[in-house]
This record gives sequence, C-alpha cells and structure tokens, in this order.
Amino acid sequence: MPADDARTPALRCARLRVEYAGRPAVDDVDLAIAPGELVAVLGESGAGKSTLLAAVAGLVPLAAGEIWLSGRQVAGPGRDVPPEHRAVGMVFQQYALWPHLCALDTVAYPMRRAGQARPAARARAAALLDQLGVGHLAHRRPAELSGGEQQRVGLARALARDAAVYLFDEPTAHLDPQQRLAFQAEVRRRQRAAGAAALYATHDAGEALALADRVAVLVGGHLAQLAPPAGVYGHPASIAVARLTGAASVLDARLESAGTGDGAELVLRIGGELVAVPGGPGITGAAHVVVRPEWTIERGPFRGTVTEAWFHGAHTDYVVEGRFGTVTLRRSGQQRHAIGEQIEWGLARGWAVPTGTAGAGQPSAIVAPG
Amino acid sequence: MLRRRHPTRFGDRGPLVVAVVAVTGLVGYPLVRLAQSAGGQAIVHAWHTPGLATVAWHTVALAGVVTAVAVPMGAGLALLLAAPGLPLRRTLVAGVLLPLVTPQFVLGYSWGQAYGRAGFSDSVAGVHWSGLYGPAGVATVLVVDATPIVYLLVAAGLATRAQPDTERAARMSGASAWTALSTVTLPLLRPVLAAAGVITFVGTLESFAVPQVLGTPAGFATITTRIYADVALGGDPATFDQALALSLGLVVLATVILLPADVVLTPRLRSVRTPQSAAVRLMRHRGAGPWVAVAGVVGYLLFAVGLPSIALLAAAVTPAIGVSPTPGNWTLANLRGLLTSTTGTELAHSVELAAAAACILTLLGTLVAMLGQRRSGRVLGAVATLTLVVPGSALAVAVLIAYGRYLAGTLTLILLAYLAKMWALALRPISGALDRLPDAERQAARASGAGPPTAVRTVVLPALAPALAGGWLLVFVTALHEVTMSSLLYSTGSQTLAVAVLNSEGLGDIGPTAALALLLTLLVVVAAGAAWGLFRLATTASSRRTGAAVPEPLLEVAGAR
Repeated sequence: MPADDARTPALRCARLRVEYAGRPAVDDVDLAIAPGELVAVLGESGAGKSTLLAAVAGLVPLAAGEIWLSGRQVAGPGRDVPPEHRAVGMVFQQYALWPHLCALDTVAYPMRRAGQARPAARARAAALLDQLGVGHLAHRRPAELSGGEQQRVGLARALARDAAVYLFDEPTAHLDPQQRLAFQAEVRRRQRAAGAAALYATHDAGEALALADRVAVLVGGHLAQLAPPAGVYGHPASIAVARLTGAASVLDARLESAGTGDGAELVLRIGGELVAVPGGPGITGAAHVVVRPEWTIERGPFRGTVTEAWFHGAHTDYVVEGRFGTVTLRRSGQQRHAIGEQIEWGLARGWAVPTGTAGAGQPSAIVAPG
Repeated sequence: MLRRRHPTRFGDRGPLVVAVVAVTGLVGYPLVRLAQSAGGQAIVHAWHTPGLATVAWHTVALAGVVTAVAVPMGAGLALLLAAPGLPLRRTLVAGVLLPLVTPQFVLGYSWGQAYGRAGFSDSVAGVHWSGLYGPAGVATVLVVDATPIVYLLVAAGLATRAQPDTERAARMSGASAWTALSTVTLPLLRPVLAAAGVITFVGTLESFAVPQVLGTPAGFATITTRIYADVALGGDPATFDQALALSLGLVVLATVILLPADVVLTPRLRSVRTPQSAAVRLMRHRGAGPWVAVAGVVGYLLFAVGLPSIALLAAAVTPAIGVSPTPGNWTLANLRGLLTSTTGTELAHSVELAAAAACILTLLGTLVAMLGQRRSGRVLGAVATLTLVVPGSALAVAVLIAYGRYLAGTLTLILLAYLAKMWALALRPISGALDRLPDAERQAARASGAGPPTAVRTVVLPALAPALAGGWLLVFVTALHEVTMSSLLYSTGSQTLAVAVLNSEGLGDIGPTAALALLLTLLVVVAAGAAWGLFRLATTASSRRTGAAVPEPLLEVAGAR
C-alpha cells in the first residue's frame, strides 16, 4: 500500500500499550517511521520488542493507543483490523516456515491469499527466490534447508506481501555470524529497493547500529530513546541505554560548574580529577559519566592498575581500577601492559548523564565483547 | 532430535535374559499356542458357524463409525480449546478429559441408566432413547469414550510441533483464521490425526464393556462379546473353538491395521521439540463467539457425562426398578449392601492383583527401559509396546490355552494376563523420563567421582522417581478396573470387583450394580488423580531441564485406556 504522500508515515504508533495478564509489556510508546526508513528496536529479552512487533502486526490486542499504517488506522479504540488485512510482512525469529510446503509454495502463499492465480504466484515466487540467491532451492522443504537458507525463504515470503512495513523479529538470532552478515546485507538491499519501512527487533547492539536509520531503545516496555545510531551510541539518554548500545564504563562524577551556552561542556570531578565533557539535560550535583573503551587516550590525569586484559585481534581491552572506579580502555595492537601494572589514561570523549535515570544502579565497568 | 548415546553399562547379560524370558513367557508363548490351537480343522469348521462372519463385520463397521465421528470431534475440541482467550478454558479441558477416568463399563451403564427405558430421563421427563441398546447406542458411547483420547493426541500435537509461529506466519501472509486452519494447521496435523484414527479404530475393535452392556441385551454382538459368551457362558468344545477362531481373527485384524501404521507414524510422532514451542493462537476470540463455543462444549459435557453421572448416582440410591429417583425415595440400602464380605473379598482381589501387576511391571519396565538405551534392548521395547495393542479378549484366551491347565481358577492366571497386556504402560513413562535425562548429567556425576551404581543412585534415580511412581499408578489404575480379560479368566474363587459389577449387571440388579460401579469409579478416580499429580511432577521436572511441552503426562494417562 503506497503512502499517500511522502510525508505520511508508513507506521505511526501513538501511546501504545499492550498488557499480558494486566501487566504492561509495552507502555506509552510513540513512534513514527517514514517510508524507506529502517528503525531497529533494541532491548534485552523481555523488554517488549516482540510484543511491539506483534501489536503492529495485529497478533496481540492493544490495551490502549493507536496504530496507523500509511495513514490508515488499523488499531485503536473500537478498531482492530485482523492481521491478514494489515499491510505488513513479517520475518520470524524461528523462521516459522511451514513443514509441509516447499520454498516455492511458501513464498507463493501470500500472493495466493491476495487472490493471484497459482501459476502467476509461483512465477513471482520463483523470481523472488532468485533475487535472494535461493532460486535453486525452490522445491525443497524447510527440513532440507540450512538456517540461513530458511531465513532467506522467510524473507522472500515477507517480501511477497505488498506491505507498508516489514517487521523483523530477531531474524538473525539463530544464524551463525557469516549467515548473519549476508542476511543483514540482503535485508538492507531489499528494503531500500522496496521503499517500504521496516521495524527490526534485535538485542544485538552491533546489528542495530549497523543496519538502522534510527534506533528505538526499549527498556522495560518503555521507549527509553529514539535517535540515529550515532545519537544512541554517543549521547545515550541513560545508563541503561548506554549499556544496551555497546561496551561502556560508567564512572561516578560530581558537577563542579555548568558550561555556558547550548551544548557546552560540563566540568566534572571524577576521582579527584577535573574533566570537561558534554552531557544530557538535568545534571545537578552527582552524575555519571559514560566512557566507551575507544574514547580513552594514553595520556591524561588518571592513574590506575590493570586488573584484566582481553586481546581481540585488532585491539586489546584493559580493565583498569583506580580512584575513579573501574574503566575499560581500548588500545590498538597486542597486549602491552601486564596485569598489575600501573598505567596512565585520559578522556578524549565522554558523556554525562544524571544519576537516578533508569538502570543507574551499579557504577561499574562493563566489558562487552568486541 | 538424534542424540548419540554412550551405551549404558550396568550389569551384563542378566537383565536382558530376564526381559527376553518375560516377553516370551508372557506374550510370545501364549500367542503361539493360540495360533497353533486355532489353526486346526475344528477351527476352520468353526468359521462356518452361522453368524460368526456377521459378528466380525459388525465389529469392523462399529470401529469405522466410531473412528469417523470421534476423530473430528476430538480434533475440533482440541482446536477450540487451544485458543488462549477462551473463557473457562481449564475447566472445560478438565470436563472433556473426564471420561478418561470413567471405566468403560461405568460409562455404558450410566448411559443406560440416563437415557434407557425406565432410566433417569424416562422417569423425569418421559423421554427415552430406544436405540440406546443396540449398535447406535454402542457407537455413541464409544465415541464419548474415545473423544478425550483424540483430544489429547491432537492437543499434544498442537503444543509440541517442531515449528512454532506457523499460524501467525499464515495470518501475516494474508490468510484469514479459517484459511490458516485449512492450509496450515490441518495439513500439519495430518500424522497426528492418522495416529488418533488408528488408535481409536483398534481401541474400538478390542472394546468389550460397552458392547456388552448396551449391545448384548439387544442381540448386537461384537467379536469381544461373542468371545465372552463362548468362553464364560458357553462350555462345550464347539463354542470354545469359535472363541479361538474369533481371538485369532481379532489379533490378525488389529495387527494388520496397526503394523503399517506403527511403522509410518512412530517416527513422525516423535517430532523434535524446540524449547518454547509457542502456544497456538488460531483465533483471538472476540465478541459473543467464545461464549457460543463454551455453551456448546458445556452442553455436550452435560449430555455425555453430566446427566449419566447423575443417573448413576440416582440409581445407586433408588431402592428398586420403577421407583422414581426423587429425594423422598432415596435409600442407602444399596450402598450399605456393599459392606458385605463378598464385596470385601472382591475388592481385595482387585487391589492385590493391581498392586502385584504394578510392582512387577515397574521393575520389568525399568529393566526394559534401561536396556532400550542399547540397540539390543530397543527391539524388546518395541515388542513390549506392541503387546498393548493385542486385544485383551484374544490375549486372555491365549493365556488360558497356554497356562490354564496349571493355573485355572487362580488369581495368578489373571495376573499373567495383566502383565502381558499392560507392561508397555509402565515402560513408556519410564523410558520417556530416561530419554529426557541428558547424558551429560550422568557423565557429570561420573566426572565428579561417582561410580556407575552411585551415578544411577544419586543422579538417575531421583530424576526417574516420579516416572517410576507414575508408571506404577498407571498400571494400578488400569488393572483396577480391567474387566475384559478378568471376565474370561475368573472363577468362583478369583472374582474381581470389576467382574462383580459386570455379573451384577447381568443379573439385572440395578441398585447394587450402580453402587458397585460408583465404588469402582471412586477407586479409579483417586488412583488416577494421584498418577496425574505424579506425572505433572515428572514433566515439570523434566521441562525445567529441556523445555519440553506439558501435555505429555496426559498422553501417558490416556495410554492407560
């Protein structure tokens, strides 16, 4: 279903709320996605990602709020369009292919439901499978396909629907790293070509940042931040968002003097040393400073002891403890510092967030893979 | 999911020998003797007895009709009750399963008391069903009896399928709820439906109590009731030859239907279970729809189980035929009549037999289950499972031929038949629990310094305990109300409670029969309740390990029928 004009969002959710047994799984979510845009929904398991997608698809009823697809209201008070009449296509985490149908008939299925004759549906299905590089597997059933091949068939099935929004429910969770990269590339190509919007749920920060135009971070069913990848990574709204979007150390800090003017840096005291970093709104007194491993430099005011070292190939991460707390530093190349060695470091960048924001409980370093 | 197992090394060939001897002695030898005895000239002659072919034809036709009705009904109920939004869902499921804990005899008898001439509906509203005694009534009650088993199989099939989300995917592809049902759900259920059909068909072939209670009075005979008439009531060699011929015919019939089905269906039924198999959400019930569905199910349950139960209760407290079952006429005389030494002896026989069978079969079951982990034992396990489908009437006749001359009239003879018929009941839960027990747990025990016996005692047995107890109870419950074989093998000194109920019914004593039937049902319900609780325990323990789906205990309980 094409958008009425370029400004009509392909998907708009307003004050969306979904409950399971009276407890909210998704609460007060506002979200608008433009045609051609890919929004990643990032969150831990149980944060409400799948529920949000299921609500858009019409698989779970809303407790409150409204959903619009290409300017047409599909859910809201007194309105609940069933899934088959919503312009959405979905790719499932566990593929959800039908064991009794071969790949060709699986992809032809949505077009058959849309009223196309069998030969026409099959011809288009074959073309779709070809485009996705699995044309030669058209007559195989799911049991005879690898995970990556199954998910390509699942993607082809979703694309076979003329959808305003494609929904991806952690589609790469069961794929090995190589298949994952290939699948992500395919998603990006197809979705751009189709010009449709996409909502892509994942718990993998790397995947979300690499794929998305914008990232919607869900924490406990609430939308914690909605911003482009560089925004959620560089300027996280809370400690919880910082931790979900990549490796981050969190240091306790105290505000010494506020900057002047818009976007000015704050002067904060960390472990007795003064540093100047930008920060979010609402910082008074106690604060936290988010430090990504690669934001640190070799010269600076801080001194600490190396307690752990992790060699990752291109770089080595060191966990360092000192008066400032615990921080993870990233240095290129092989391990150069021994455990127990005293080293000096400084901040090239940082991002201050107020204490008391969700998830600000434990100010300790987090070592994330990579 | 194929998991390569390391051979379980415990003991040497000893257990294998015991198991092989048990299978041969209990099942193999009697069946061979039956085939030998039934192969002679006299038997060929027996088949020419007028009416015998008709009896065989009746039996097959009855099985066909019951299957054709019960499978769609059970499957429909399963699909209806699978929807998560349905009001009163748990209560309805419990109601649908109720006939499972009602002995077949009691179900048939209750229907007679509810809808027959001079029955409950007749005395209350002046309405009775004249066709109840005869093929139509027999088929109807057998459908009521078989529906819960079909329901269980289909519900389990829905809950434990390999691919979750398949219906959702269909809806997301533009299929309406009904299209999703016909293009995805039903095709995927085909193997389960076929299995349910085979199980219902064979179960009807070997059913005895319902045709005996509702068919025999109207002159409608099936193979099983004819065998009963020939063996228990007849007495001359000619009728015994007829019984032999019919028994062999029954075995052949069941085997012919089951063997190919078993080969085809078994591998598919053991489908892969992924963790977190999603609940099927076929329909999101909205508006008045669910309440219409609920009303339909409740109506069926009232008609099929509710009113018959009330009628049975009423008959138990009514002094004599023709007295209307109003509170003013109620009496405890029939129930007090249970407190005789005869009833006590019969009850003791039933409990002794059931307990003995349960203990022996739990041991044998454990043995075979553990052997089943090895290649040589797997065949043994398959044979043991097959004995479950050898019709009880035929098995009883076979046991009678093989051991009757030494053991005639003793409880041991009946015990042998129970052992032959029921050991798959103990075997399956135990081997199931063993299969779910990850190898790694035992290996971890060994790697932690436990020797093989210690590993079994500290790691395997605790995990197996609920299944062992459950298997024991399953045999106990089944043996408690067994009537098909007992009625062929008992004599004056070895009458069981279930046989007493049958004989009392044959004499036409309505009140005492109803009282005895109540006692029997009560026993079965209590024991079945305990079994159910234990299986819940066993599967929650194992699903915590593997994330397996829940309804498995139900299947085991269903297997008892």
